[in-house]
Parts: sequence; structure tokens; C-alpha cells
Amino acid sequence: MKLGILIFRNLRRNLLRSILTSLGTVVLVFVVTLVWSILAFLQAATEEKTRNLKAIVTERWSIPSRLPFSYAATLAEGAARSPQDVRPLDSMNWQFYGGTVDPEKISRESLIYAIASDPRKIPTMLDGLESLPPDQEEQLRKDVEKLAATRQGVIVGRNHLTALNKRIGDRFKLFGISTYMGIDLEFEIVGAFPPGRYDGLAAFNSDYYLNELDAYARRNNGRKHPLAEHSLNLVWLKLADTDAFNRVAEQIESSPSFNSPAVKCETAASGIASFLDAFRDLIWGMRWLLAPACVATLSLIIANAISISIRERRLELAVLKVLGFRPWQILTLVLGESVLLGSLSGLASAVATYAAVNWWMQGLKFPIAFFDAFFIPSDAMVWGFCVGAAASLAGSFLPAWSACRVKVADVFSKVA
Amino acid sequence: MISPMPTPAKREPVVRVHDVHKYFRRGSERLDVLKGLTLEVPDREFLGLMGPSGSGKTTLLNLIAGLDTPSEGEIWVADQMISGMSESQLARWRTRNVGFVFQFYHLLPVMTAYENVELPLLLLPLSARQRREQVKTALELVGLSDRLHHRPGQLSGGQQQRVGIARAIVTDPAILVADEPTGDLDARSAEEILDLLGELRESLEKTILLVTHDPRAARRTDRVLHLDKGVLVESGVADRAE
Amino acid sequence: MVLKLVIAATALVMMLLAVTKVPLRYNARNVAVRWKTTAMTALAFTVVIGLLTVMLGFVNGMYQLTLHSGQPGNVIVLSDRATDEVVSNLLPTDVGDLERQPGILRDGDRPMASRETYFVVNQPLRNARAGRPGRRFVQVRGLDDPELSARVHGLEMLPGGQWFSSAGVREAADAGDPRQRELVEAVLGEGVAGELGRDRDPATAASWRRPDRLDVGDTFPLGGRTWVVAGVLNSGGSTFNSEVWAKRSLMGGMFGKDTYTSLVCRTADAESARKLKEFFTTQYRKSSVLAQVETDYYESLSNTNKQFLYAIAFVTAVMAIGGAFGVMNTMFAAISQRIRDIGVLRLLGYRRRQILVSFLLESLIIALVGGLAGCALGYLANGLSATSIVNAGPGGGKSVVLRLIIDARILGVGFLLAIAMGLLGGLIPSLSAMRLKPLESLR
Repeated sequence: MKLGILIFRNLRRNLLRSILTSLGTVVLVFVVTLVWSILAFLQAATEEKTRNLKAIVTERWSIPSRLPFSYAATLAEGAARSPQDVRPLDSMNWQFYGGTVDPEKISRESLIYAIASDPRKIPTMLDGLESLPPDQEEQLRKDVEKLAATRQGVIVGRNHLTALNKRIGDRFKLFGISTYMGIDLEFEIVGAFPPGRYDGLAAFNSDYYLNELDAYARRNNGRKHPLAEHSLNLVWLKLADTDAFNRVAEQIESSPSFNSPAVKCETAASGIASFLDAFRDLIWGMRWLLAPACVATLSLIIANAISISIRERRLELAVLKVLGFRPWQILTLVLGESVLLGSLSGLASAVATYAAVNWWMQGLKFPIAFFDAFFIPSDAMVWGFCVGAAASLAGSFLPAWSACRVKVADVFSKVA
Repeated sequence: MISPMPTPAKREPVVRVHDVHKYFRRGSERLDVLKGLTLEVPDREFLGLMGPSGSGKTTLLNLIAGLDTPSEGEIWVADQMISGMSESQLARWRTRNVGFVFQFYHLLPVMTAYENVELPLLLLPLSARQRREQVKTALELVGLSDRLHHRPGQLSGGQQQRVGIARAIVTDPAILVADEPTGDLDARSAEEILDLLGELRESLEKTILLVTHDPRAARRTDRVLHLDKGVLVESGVADRAE
Repeated sequence: MVLKLVIAATALVMMLLAVTKVPLRYNARNVAVRWKTTAMTALAFTVVIGLLTVMLGFVNGMYQLTLHSGQPGNVIVLSDRATDEVVSNLLPTDVGDLERQPGILRDGDRPMASRETYFVVNQPLRNARAGRPGRRFVQVRGLDDPELSARVHGLEMLPGGQWFSSAGVREAADAGDPRQRELVEAVLGEGVAGELGRDRDPATAASWRRPDRLDVGDTFPLGGRTWVVAGVLNSGGSTFNSEVWAKRSLMGGMFGKDTYTSLVCRTADAESARKLKEFFTTQYRKSSVLAQVETDYYESLSNTNKQFLYAIAFVTAVMAIGGAFGVMNTMFAAISQRIRDIGVLRLLGYRRRQILVSFLLESLIIALVGGLAGCALGYLANGLSATSIVNAGPGGGKSVVLRLIIDARILGVGFLLAIAMGLLGGLIPSLSAMRLKPLESLR
């Protein structure tokens, strides 16, 4: 269509202005993309699933949750007592451990938080590890096998490799901190988690941990470590559907086995949502202040650029009218120019952000609650395009409207 | 500062142009615009410069007004050699020594007549009161005392050009240069502007350089120089008979 | 620092004003002639700077909160290598010995030391609003002697309240259910009193003692028991604002912890506090503890703030660059419209730098009008309350209710950003204006 060619030509006429507007769009869509990526991730994490969902069993009242390890076996069965009771599809025990490589100087860099568990549960129970690219999946499978075979093995996140300045195969020692005082563990790094979500996590064998807790009592004349009876922090269960979850939750919460302390069973999504609730005003601010402010600024910049162009081209628009262009065609011409510029710049920004964050930076470091790094979803390309298009449409509508209502006589009388 | 200067006994040349060349390079080609021009303009002369387009008359005017520097040769204005000045020296020199009148007036559209005339004075170390007096005197001289606070858009072409002239004389410069000052005006307004320039020459004893295409304008001058292809072709006293 | 920069920036603007010979009204009138596009540019500034002020107000609120929670004369003792109160573990015998050390002030025969056990407790919400989680975390501080603890922390009871009794419970006047006859007495921070007050059934609003929060005599459920408000603390602006205080011996049983988490010791002054901290760290041998001057401890909690601050700085910088592109468009357009004006001014003897300054000032005018409007808009958020979390590192953390504090420093930062954006966006176009050749621009 001829109008399309005209739109393109107009964009090239004031190349400087087109470039500046485009750059403005790129940086603002960049912020929107980052913010929405974080929000989308949090939303996905707190969205209740109806099938194949995870449940978390924790101490009923107290945080942090500390359960006797003796609960583990019963909980893995979903506290099923009769054959008719529902059993979870899979389960995983979480025993937290925190230590420092440098007991003299405890700093963010020297601290490592690890989970002790059954290694074989890692690929099936940790979110995001069940759907890895084939090469990473194969690597993880090998690492997990190695961990299962190495009593003092550990799989670490990339952050740890950097902070410790260690490589796979190296050894290091952790000195227990806080409640883990007195339990010092020696590890051999057998593998690393795939980059991303588990950059800050380390996982090792539950057997080793339990053994060390027992050893503590032997070293201290039979005095048990304070955590000896409370070393289990949480149990994850995998359930087929909401119905199964409701049944299992009922079985667990009504079971007489869990009295001291009492336990609760909730979906992973609702558990995460509770933790994120402390951040609710921050999240609200990101969603309703930051992102809209970016879009508003973007609209204003585009409106400004388009208004300037139209003022400069009043005569030309009047000539087009004399030549027989209809108002809607002029409206299309102006809107087309800004929407083309906005949507393409928005798309370019999102694509660049996607590539930069996911490939080059390997995730956006923004620690919130227990999430470490965020990735840009592929949906972001669609957002980028749409935000650019919508902001430019919003910004250029009024200028375009005034352009298509240009009165030929006025323009020529001013020029004469 | 706008006060009649004492008449010198002898009319010293106020502008001296000596063997001036001006050429521009376009790629490997050299374009000669002025080719060894020499001329003198006596004090208080009303000089006309005529010639076809591209003859170099505007270039000559710009050189004398300190807007451009010659490729070779010397230009003296009121005992100062301006051909050797730097750009910023020239800028400072222009403020005090040259008044410009343009074909398209070139007033700042958002400023009133008064403010437009005041603009060059802002560069001089004057008190607000001194400025006010000079601006009022200049606008009185051009007959616009009643239009002080009108903006250019509210004035006729002739009136705008009067504002332009007031702006040119407000710093009491030695010379006035006018490039086609009547080129955009109707015949009657043009006559009025030429009358005004003539009066100013008499009352303020200014030297005026006028570039024009218009023979009627040329007739008002003391002397007309004709340029063609960068050289003076003839000169003579204009016919003053109407 | 901000003040110095503000002064420097103001001086810069003043200097530009002094250097410029082109009258400011020339710029002002041109801005007025193009008021629509100028307004759009200024409005973009308003949005960016308004947002910045609000975000900084939030972080400032967090800083002030942690700053005002600690007393410079207090030393907080946690178990060794404890990263947070909630994971600290002090045995009763150790606490008894710790508080008898020299340097700790005494009140008669009692040491001025607050023995505390800090819990985070799940509270299921019976009528959680749609889209909100079904439970919240309540921070409970178990104390042996609340009156002493309040004095150590410099907190006062709001009128009408009283400290919980030594039993920590009282009989309900009208409870039918025998299990609910015994009410757990609690002293609430004002913030948490407000939070818990929001759980009340709106249908019963007529019988509320206060519409905005729970008050003395009100009850609430927690940990399977019914609690009664014995008093409310005047705790605004500190982390204690979000805490429930109750009898420690009772809490230990309810939430499964019979040790202490922290001991807060009052000394004569900041210097003595520092000495006591040194003593506990280097000379005290009976148990290994982590002692910190309380103000330092709370400062370490502001690690989260730093993280936010970096994020805000990054986001604002990016948005400011976007805004600067907008100014550039405006200024380039302004200049291309006024090429003749520039030519005339140059012919009249105006120098290049005067042209530069004139257009720079014009972009600064736009930036300042928009920026100051943004500061004013952001200032509206001053005093609004928000929830957040403070912590020293991964794990743990205290949820807090804070007030946005937008003070002169933050407004100063907004002003500075406006100037910076104005300069950034105005400089390149003004340079191009400066370089125009007078004769060519008149052609």
C-alpha cells in the first residue's frame, strides 16, 4: 500500500528524531521488560496448579519449621494409614544446613546454605529441573549419580563456584553457623546445578548430615546437638491433582503421629505466596507505579516527537488534503508512523533484553525472598512489541487527531 | 551614544579594502569569488554595491562587516585591521562597529520591537537605564515610538524593517551594512526605508554600505560600485535626479 | 553530600544565568509558544522524578526504621555465628551469667538487660481476602519482664494499656468454652495492631474500640489460642512496631523453643556499649557469643535497603536516559525552528558559548519545571505506610511496617536528577546550535 511507503519515508525524513525516539523507547521498554519478567515469575510461582502439583509440609506454628527426622517416612507416604488413603507420587526431604568457609569472618560471600536430601530426588522434585534442555539434563543426571555414590559429595550453584573460587572436583570445609554450630562438614564438589534458579543452592547427602549429627553426641559425652531431634525442615510431596492434595492434606493434618510439633500441609504455591506477602507493597509498587510510569514516560516522549513532526509538516499535510487525501488516511499516516517506530523499537528492546539477560548475564540478579535470579520469558518479545505499540498509539492519538483535522485554508493563509 | 559626531575636517576613508581575494574550495576546484579587489569608502558615504547574482557583492559586504575573513589581502575599518581578527574578536568588534540591516528583517519573533532593539546592547557594559534610553532614542529616530511593545508579527513589513534599522544603529556603529533592505517591501515602504537611511546618514553621520538590485535604491546613494565576476567594473556617482 | 551537590548544581545554574546574555524571557517565550510539546517533555520529567522520590522515600523509611530501632548504649548478644535473631540460641544459664557482667547498668539489684526469645509464628487468616495468602507471619517476642525490656529499648506504653502479668494469661470474663477461658496477654506494636485489626469482621465494626487498629481489651487468635491486648506500644518508626510481646515462658511451650535468642544489655553510653561489646567478643570465655552494639546490629539489617537502593538507582538511571532522549527531541526541534534567530544573534555579536548557554538554560527550565512538579507529586506520598522486610542476609528477616519519608535530601536528589537530565538532554542539541555558522543559518 502506498501509505505504507509514505510512512517509511516519513520516518527516514528526520532520522535523528526517529533514532532518539527509538532509543527512548528501547530503554523504557527495557525497564518494563525487566519488571514484568520478575512479576510474571512470581505470579507463576504463586499460581495454584490443578494437576501435578507440589505440597509442602512444615511445622504448624513456628518459623523456621523444625521437625523430627522421624516424621519423614510417614510424611513421604502422605500419612496414609489405610489402603484407601491417597499416597503422594513422589516426595523429597529438606534438611537445611548453613555454614561458612571462614569462621573468623562471616560475610555474605563466605556463607553457604545447603540442603541435605536424597540425591535422586533432585531432578524430579526441584522446580524447573524436570524440563531442562537435553544436554543440561544429561549432565545433571550424571552429577546426581555421582553425588549418590559420594558420601561427602555436594552439588553447588554457580554462585558458590565463583565465591569459593573452586572447581568441580575440589574440596572445601564448612563451619556450622547459627543453630548449626558444632556441625562442621567437609565436602567434595561433584557437580554444579544448571545456571539460573539454583545458582545459590547447594545439595548434599542426607546420610552424611544425619551421621554428623549423631557424631556430635559421641564427641560431647552423649549430649545431643540441639538440632538432633529437629533436623527436618520441610517435606515436599508431589500430587496428581487438587483432589489428591486435599485428601493428603487432610490425612496429614489429622494424623496422630504429628503432635509435637504439629504440622501443616499446603500447596507450594500458597506457601510461596505467604512468604512473598512481606514484599507485597514492593511488588505492588513495581506493578502499579514503576511499570506504568515507564509506559507513561514512553507515551509522552513519543507524543512529543510526533507533535513536533506534525507541527513541522502542517503545510505538507494540508497539501495532502488538497490532493484529496481523506482525514482517516492522514490519521493512518501519522499513527502508522509512530506505531511502526514504537512497536519495532519495543520488540528490538525486548529481544535485546532477552538475549542479554538470559545468555550473556545468565539471569537477572534480584534476590527477593528465596529467589535469586530471574530470567526473561520468551513472552517478553510479545510484551515489548505490544508495549511499544500501545504507548505509541496512546501518545500519538491526540497529535494525529489534530493533524487529520488540519484546516487547509488556515495553513495556507499562515504561509502566505 | 547616539549623538552627532564632530565633523572631521577632511573625509578620511573609514573602510579600506586592499587587494582582497576570496576563494572557496570545492573538492579540488578553486572558486574565485573576489579577485584582488581594492576600494576605499570615505566617512559618511552612502555607497551602493550592485552587480548580478554571484558577482561577489554580498561576499564583499560580509567581509567588510566582519562576518567572514578574506583569503588574501587586508581590510581596515576605522583604523582597525579586521582581516586578521579571530572569530571571537570579530564577534566583539561587530557589536560595537557594525550595524546590520537584512532583506528579511530577521527580528526574533517572540521578542517585542523594544526587546529586539535592545539585544545588541545586552552585550555591552551598560546600565539598564542607559540601555532604555538608547533603545527609546533609536526607535524614535526610526519613527516607531508608539510601537515599542509590539511583536514583529503585529507590525507591517516596513515597520519591521524600521525596527531592524533601529537595532542596527542602537550601538552607534561606525558603519551600517544593508543587504537588499528593500527587497521584500512594496514600493512605498521601500521608499520610506530609503528615506530613513538617507536621513540617518545625515543626522547620525553614518557610513552606509547598501547592496541592492534595485536601481531606484541605487539612485539614492552617493556612489555605486558595480561588481562582476569578482572585480569592480565601473564606478560612478549615482544620478540623484528624480 | 546531597546538600553539597545541590549547592553545586544551583551554583552552576546561577553561573549559566550570569554568563548568558540572551535574555531569559527569550527562552521563556519560546517555551510558551511551543507549550504543548514542552509540557509533554516536562511531564515526562514529572513522572520520572515523582517515581524516584517515592521509591527513595520507601528506602529512606526503611533506613530510618532500622536507625531508630537500635539504642547506641545497648549491646545485643546473640549466640556465636548467628546470622539472625531467629536462629540464635542462648541457654538460660549463659544468659544469667552474661547479664551479671560489669558495664551493664543496674536498676536496683536487677541488671538492665532484656532477656528475649524471638519467634516467627504462622497465623492462618480465617477470612483472607481473595488473591491474598491464607496466612501471615507474626513476629512474637517472648520476654521475662516486659516493663524492663521496654525501658531497655526506650519504648513506652500508649495510655490505657498495661504490661502483661507475670503469668502472662488472664481469665476471660465471658468465655463458654473452657479451653478458651484463659487468654494470652500481649502487648502489641502499633503497626501489628493495625494489621491484626484488619482481620476483624467488618460486620462487627459498630463494636470496635478503634476503627484503625486493635486496642486494649480486644482479642485475636494466634497459635491455636485466643490472645487479649493488654497494651499497645508507642513504637512507630522502629521494628518493634511490628512485634507482639508476650510472656516468654508461655511462648516457649507454645512454639517449641525453651532457650533465649537474644540478650539486650543497657550500658551508660555509646562508649561503654562499645567496650562491653569488645569484652564479650574478646575476653568473655564462659560461652561463645556474638555481641554487637545495637545500632550496628540494626544497621546490618539494612543490607536489604542497599539492594533496593542499587535497583532504584539502576531503574532511575535508565528512565532518566529515556527522558533525556525526549528532551533532546524537544531541543533539536526548538533549535531547528530557530536557526534564523541563532544566526541573527551571532551576527549581532553574540558568541558561540552564549548561544550554547542560552539553549542549555532553556532545556534546564523545562527540566526544572517538570522536575519540581515531580518532587511535589512524590512528596504527596510522604507518610504513607508500606510493608517491607529487613534482613542482614539470606534467610531470616523481619517484616516491618514503615512510613515513606520524603525529606529534603530526597527532594534534593530529585532536583539534581532534573538538572542532570536537563543538561544531558540539552547539551548535544545546544552544541549543535552553537556550531551553526551565522551566515549559513540566515540563508
